[in-house]
Amino acid sequence: MITGQPITLWRRFLRFPWHLLLLSLALVTVGSLALYSASEGSWSPWAGRHAVRGGIGVVLVFILAFVDLRLLRKWSYFILLAAVGMLVALMVVDSGRFVSRWITIGGFTFQPSEPAKIAVVMALARYFDEQPPERMQSLLVYLPPLVLITLPFLLIIKQPDLGTALALLLGALSVLFAAGMPWRYIFMVIVLGLGSLPVLWMQLHAYQKERVMTFLNPSADALGAGYQITQSKIALGSGGLFGKGFLMGSQSQLNYLPEKQTDFVFTMIGEEFGLVGNLFILSVYLLLIGSILAISLRVGSRFAQLTCVGIAMMLFLYVFVNVAMVTGLLPVVGAPLPLISYGGTAMLTVFVGLGIVVSAVVHDRSEN
Amino acid sequence: MNKKAREKEFRRVMTRRSLLLGGMQLGIASFLGLRLYQLQVAQNSQYRRLSDRNQFDVKIVAPQRGRVFDRKMRLLAGNAESYQLRVTPLHAKDLPQVLDDLSTIIELKPREREEVIAAAVKNPSFRPIVVRGNLTQRELARLAVRSAYLPGVTFEKVLRRIYPQGALTGHVTGYVSPLTSRELDLNPALQQLPDLATGKIGVESALESQLRGKPGSERVEVNARGRPIRVLRDFEPSAGQDVRLALDIGVQLEAAEVLRRGRSQTVNLSLSEAQGAIAGNAELKSHIAAGDNLVLRDPKGNITPAESGALVVMDVRSGEIVSLVSAPMYDPNIFTEKLLTRDWRRLNDHPRTPLLNRVTTGMYAPGSTFKMVVALAALEAGIINERTSFFCKGDMELGNATFHCWQKLGHGTVNVLRALEQSCDVFFYEVALKTGIQRIKNMALRLGFGAETGIDIPGEKTGIIPSHDWKLATHGVAWTPGETVVASIGQGYVLATPIQLALMTARIANGQFAVEPSLLARSKTPEFAPLDIPDSALRIVRRGMKMVTHSGRGTARNYNLGAEFGGMAGKTGTVQVKRITTEQREAGIVKNIDRPWKERDHALFVGYAPVTDPRYAISVVVEHGGSGSSMAAPIARKILEKILRSDRGLV
Repeated sequence: MITGQPITLWRRFLRFPWHLLLLSLALVTVGSLALYSASEGSWSPWAGRHAVRGGIGVVLVFILAFVDLRLLRKWSYFILLAAVGMLVALMVVDSGRFVSRWITIGGFTFQPSEPAKIAVVMALARYFDEQPPERMQSLLVYLPPLVLITLPFLLIIKQPDLGTALALLLGALSVLFAAGMPWRYIFMVIVLGLGSLPVLWMQLHAYQKERVMTFLNPSADALGAGYQITQSKIALGSGGLFGKGFLMGSQSQLNYLPEKQTDFVFTMIGEEFGLVGNLFILSVYLLLIGSILAISLRVGSRFAQLTCVGIAMMLFLYVFVNVAMVTGLLPVVGAPLPLISYGGTAMLTVFVGLGIVVSAVVHDRSEN
Repeated sequence: MNKKAREKEFRRVMTRRSLLLGGMQLGIASFLGLRLYQLQVAQNSQYRRLSDRNQFDVKIVAPQRGRVFDRKMRLLAGNAESYQLRVTPLHAKDLPQVLDDLSTIIELKPREREEVIAAAVKNPSFRPIVVRGNLTQRELARLAVRSAYLPGVTFEKVLRRIYPQGALTGHVTGYVSPLTSRELDLNPALQQLPDLATGKIGVESALESQLRGKPGSERVEVNARGRPIRVLRDFEPSAGQDVRLALDIGVQLEAAEVLRRGRSQTVNLSLSEAQGAIAGNAELKSHIAAGDNLVLRDPKGNITPAESGALVVMDVRSGEIVSLVSAPMYDPNIFTEKLLTRDWRRLNDHPRTPLLNRVTTGMYAPGSTFKMVVALAALEAGIINERTSFFCKGDMELGNATFHCWQKLGHGTVNVLRALEQSCDVFFYEVALKTGIQRIKNMALRLGFGAETGIDIPGEKTGIIPSHDWKLATHGVAWTPGETVVASIGQGYVLATPIQLALMTARIANGQFAVEPSLLARSKTPEFAPLDIPDSALRIVRRGMKMVTHSGRGTARNYNLGAEFGGMAGKTGTVQVKRITTEQREAGIVKNIDRPWKERDHALFVGYAPVTDPRYAISVVVEHGGSGSSMAAPIARKILEKILRSDRGLV
């Protein structure tokens, strides 16, 4: 290879991480099949649209692949500002309704909290990219990131969307962690986090508190608030090793399982395909996340590295929160399983994230 | 170079941290995998069981209640299919919204709505709530099309108890009504059968265990929106037994009509005169409100409600009840589903208590109909015989009290036959004093007084047959001879129910066995205990009773049954409800018709027919009906004639 040679389109094509695309398309396919089953064997209303959205996502990845990562780096603060602006707008525009998470622009609804997660990751990546290594030991360096994280975090928690807010927080912290935050500050964050739990609890809406309490003792009210967790566990548990077969999940097909097309899609797959099906999906996710982390180790720019770590963490948190929730390890917080659950915003976010990772690979200047 | 080394170090830290994050994520993912293993493999059988139970709602299926027929297999109590609209809060999710949607299909009153919401709060959310029972065809058609889009809304075909004869047999059948909280407390298992209706009174209650049948169970595969997908019957419910009563609807209809009309003429309700009378008379108004549209014009021309009272006809051999009327009557159909407050109030506020079954719980002084008991006791004890006579001068002195005969001028010299024939009081005063209250009581008990008769209607009253011991126990003072005198003509403390009067008459007519009453048709006559009263005594009393209707001086001489039916024997009774003072007696007793209704005498008659080889015994009580001779006797004659006619295939 000749260094300094301009990167041609052909070379970019050669570098394209096709395996990321393949893995994500595999998940979208699984999702379409699951949604086909969720609507009792029909492409409408979910499965067909899900597949189309997957196609749009792939196109988006290709488009982002052409966008130079440096451009994103340059605009990252502005993007975060725009995301926070949308979150504020949401509070102003749609304050009449109890739960306001969606914004409608030209008939297209989406949740600004999802892109906000990526915006925070990129803004933090740029911030730490600009810090000289020797300054990383100073506590003052971590004050601006605190604002970058806290502002969207509080806005999202007020929506109220506890799940997304916590995912944003943990994703952002992973960037700080990867950037080399000293251990003593990490412990400080942990202690602070635990200490603020009671304050956080006071901020919660009654129904959010109830969810947490239900999680702590689901069987106390098996037909009330604990219904979802109990039904989810029954559906999963009755699936066994190999499941009841495609379209044969009685819990899901008989509608005992709530929200089977969104938050509880993993449960439905577990009922129909058993432990084998669930572990297969988990493995695909791990491969995808692992690939992104591997890319983060390979790419040259610090911004690209930190962004990749943050995006991998976001993806992981999506999967973890959802699976932990449907298996009764976490309270029901309303978190989708990315690329499989029906719902445009989460899928869009993940494809945008993947597009950024692809861009990081394609536009990488460092030569191995 | 230093900077470059630091950069390198920096990169190493990041690599390490990234790997650490990756390792952490892998660890957590493995933990999730273990959790899945725990749920799906280790606890699989447990969840599989739960899943099966989830799919199938095990439901207890109420059995079909046995039907009740009259002796000619005409339906008295049956089951009609009816559709209930139900909503299950669990599946409805947003109950108020679902009710809003429902009210666009059928009319839902705010009260009904509140009741549903209240029930949803009170009961577990998986238990369906009946929004509306007994849907009309029109409602059903509209709902069938549109309710499919309403989550948690279902129909259920249920069997509703119906009483086709309505008020006519209300006091016989009684009624079923939804389970009460007391029944549920006594038997919590019934909670699984929220639609079960149980007999509360009458035959429905007495024969509950026969009629109810055995519940079955079924598993209904439903989806989470509560829509049944498939039904698997595990145990078929077994229907309750049908029962056939001895009652004859034809006789019952005639009896209710004749008893309630009395000696008056019916008035057409549409006449303005009738409407005016109803508007101005609270009692008449409550009759009409309770669904009784029989209105009478009494001999003085006043417009009055139908007569109230009781009538029982019993087969003297088998004890079968051929007719049982208690007036006023009520329609048992109003009780089978949710009782409307309006209906309940109308029955409860009615001055003549339609819900009271006068045949079994109405306690009346038997009056002169009790004289057979005194005669039999004295004859059996040998205190009198057929020829023993007493002189009646119109009254009798005892100590410093005077006891009057109803015939002011006296009956002259009378023996037991004449005394029964003309209902001479003084004769029985004398005889009773010689016989003593204890012997009279013993005879009364053998004839069925003072105890439950055992008829298939729960809640029977025993009446009162007084004695020395009874007086001491209840009043704490000794019995006086004067009280024996009063008791001898069935007044004072003596109280009996119309069914007891009929039973006494049946036993006297039967002569051999202590018959017991039965509402159920009997396929063969059971072995009754022997009556154990000397035949000679019974024969004398029966002759006296024959003279009441046959002899020229009998109190019911005008109301004998035609010879073609074998004639009728009996005894009249006219019971004072208000004490007659000396001044009133001297001024001349005011005629019944000129007194307020409440102060008029009760009119009684007991009798049997045919005279030789008796078949049916009857007792008639017309409350405040005037005299037994002119009011009760003709009613008894008409009914006995009706029965004997239809027995012979005549109309």
